[in-house]
Amino acid sequence: MIISFENQLSRFLGTIAIFTAIIVVLFPFFWIFLESLKPPSLGGRPDVWFFEPTWENWSEIVLNSGVPLNILNSFFIALITVVISLICGAPAAYAFSRFRGFHGARYSILAAEMMPPAILILPLFLLLYKLELIDSRIGVIIAHLTFVVPVITWFLIGFFDEVPKDLEDQAMIDGYTRFQAFYKVILPIVRPGLGAAAVFGFVLSWNDLFYSLLLTGAESRTLPVAIASFWTFRGIELGKMAVAILIAVIPVLILSYSIQKHLIRGIGGSGVKY
Amino acid sequence: MGQVTFKNLSKSFGPANIIDGINLEIRNSEFLVLLGPSGCGKSTTLRLLAGLETVSSGKILIDGKDVTELEPRERDIAMVFQNYALYPTMTVAQNIGFGLKAKKTPPKLIKEKVNDIAELLGLTHLLNRKPNSLSGGQQQRVAIGRAIVRKPKVFLFDEPLSNLDANLRLEMRAEIMKLHRELGATTIFVTHDQEEAMAMADRIVIMDNGLIEQVGTPTEIYFQPKTRMVAGFIGNPSMNFIEGQISKNCEISMAIGRIKVNIPPNSGKDVEVGIRPEKIKLDERKSKPTEIKVKVLVTNVELLGPRAVVKMQHESGQQLTSVVDHNEMDKYRVGTKISVSLASQALHIFPRIRD
Ligand SMILES: Nc1ncnc2c1ncn2[C@@H]1O[C@H](COP(=O)(O)OP(=O)(O)OP(=O)(O)O)[C@@H](O)[C@H]1O
Ligand SMILES: [Mg+2]
Repeated sequence: MIISFENQLSRFLGTIAIFTAIIVVLFPFFWIFLESLKPPSLGGRPDVWFFEPTWENWSEIVLNSGVPLNILNSFFIALITVVISLICGAPAAYAFSRFRGFHGARYSILAAEMMPPAILILPLFLLLYKLELIDSRIGVIIAHLTFVVPVITWFLIGFFDEVPKDLEDQAMIDGYTRFQAFYKVILPIVRPGLGAAAVFGFVLSWNDLFYSLLLTGAESRTLPVAIASFWTFRGIELGKMAVAILIAVIPVLILSYSIQKHLIRGIGGSGVKY
Repeated sequence: MGQVTFKNLSKSFGPANIIDGINLEIRNSEFLVLLGPSGCGKSTTLRLLAGLETVSSGKILIDGKDVTELEPRERDIAMVFQNYALYPTMTVAQNIGFGLKAKKTPPKLIKEKVNDIAELLGLTHLLNRKPNSLSGGQQQRVAIGRAIVRKPKVFLFDEPLSNLDANLRLEMRAEIMKLHRELGATTIFVTHDQEEAMAMADRIVIMDNGLIEQVGTPTEIYFQPKTRMVAGFIGNPSMNFIEGQISKNCEISMAIGRIKVNIPPNSGKDVEVGIRPEKIKLDERKSKPTEIKVKVLVTNVELLGPRAVVKMQHESGQQLTSVVDHNEMDKYRVGTKISVSLASQALHIFPRIRD
């Protein structure tokens, strides 16, 4: 095989580009990890590179702060949000995928997704206030549903589109109702899609700061709000913040990695076909 | 039992009339083939009968019972789709037994019946496999097994053989016919392969543009085509058509000559005369009054196994195609002029439709 100069050059440039990208993406994580190991006396000094590493920040956060409760809140809120979103989103996505005359309608979901959350926050706040659900996990779940349901619905449409219509026809001929055909035949086929959508929705809810910041108090505070609150009047408690950030980010990285195969198809909704 | 009746059945998708008022009586235990060009409404007809599409107007009866408004699951039919529609998450055994499960059959009985069917179709060693690990022919068998295990009144097949290679297609064709003889169930089989239709059918229904053109046995369809469409659609190579006019004394005059024929009623003045390629004979004798003798130029000869297709041109520009035995081939040399004869009893007369 002859490798031409051009090919070699482009391969070399490509390798450099990839390494640059990896460094650009990974460097912040590395830096945050370093911050988390700095003694508190050096906190807020990003210019210091050499120091004696200590687990002081970690033990402080895990043992002496509200962060464990915040993690629990975030986890619980994200979990319930995802379960409800799947129960609503899967049948909705199936309907959008199957019924004639609905093809254009699916793009209205995108509109719901793209709406700035600021539009919803005032009515939501008033509503939850009247229902006395401010600073409650249920309130945050309701707020999160407003963007997780459309995302999960959109995500699943593409998966349903790829299931041949003949399968539910066959099931209906075989003696089942359309609904039975849906949950006995179609849902098992899109199970990878359901899993990926669940992970995606979970991460969205887990990461949300906007709604949580405005709707939670001490009781229902979520992890992103807790992270933000390390920025106090006395300055940024960088060491503790770094610990909390790492705790928030690690599950996201693991979950994203687990669904990477399905992510493109899901985000493409109905558009991407391959 | 399994007798199906369509009464004035129509289906439209939006403004387009896909099925345009068809009437058809399908007999018990009959093997009926729906044949027609792509897009003529064959699949739609099957889907209407299966209950997968709603009827726009008209009625469907099964064994005299009006099923027009019934759900698919209430009609007691089975269908085999073109790409088999096997449930990918279930094993072969679960696929075959899925319909029995819907009827709340006890699991032990399901197992028994599935095993019987698997044995009948030679699937026993595959029962625990998933469909996507099977070959096309095996998937086809599973789809058929799933259909017959429920012993429905009517079987529907929508081009089930078109995804198989030629040998396998012949094999499955024979197998489906054997099953039909053994089970005696009413079968409606859609295809656009006329050879398949001829070989399998008790009766053939020729459809075009949502209408039934002709219903008849394969012999009737081939030898007595009722319409120009049927005549042109059936037969390979297809029938020759020659434009002509009917004159007063029961004669048809064409660019290639004139001939006295039995003219069917209401064929109008302008007609098209059809003749099958194999009826055009090489002829050196003097012409008889019951045939036309035509001098033509041989333009092409193509050997197709034991037969050869000869293309010829008359000096008027009229093209003719004939089929001859391969050992007669050397009488037809490209570029030479020969004499052929068209016998009057081999001619089919159709009114000419101007468009
Ligand atoms: N769901 C639908 N919506 C709109 N038009 C449809 C629908 N289903 C079928 N048609 C139209 O109806 C016509 C007949 O379709 P059908 O599938 O019955 O044809 P067919 O005879 O089975 O053809 P083929 O041999 O290609 O399978 C086609 O023109 C098709 O475009
Ligand atoms: Mg079809």
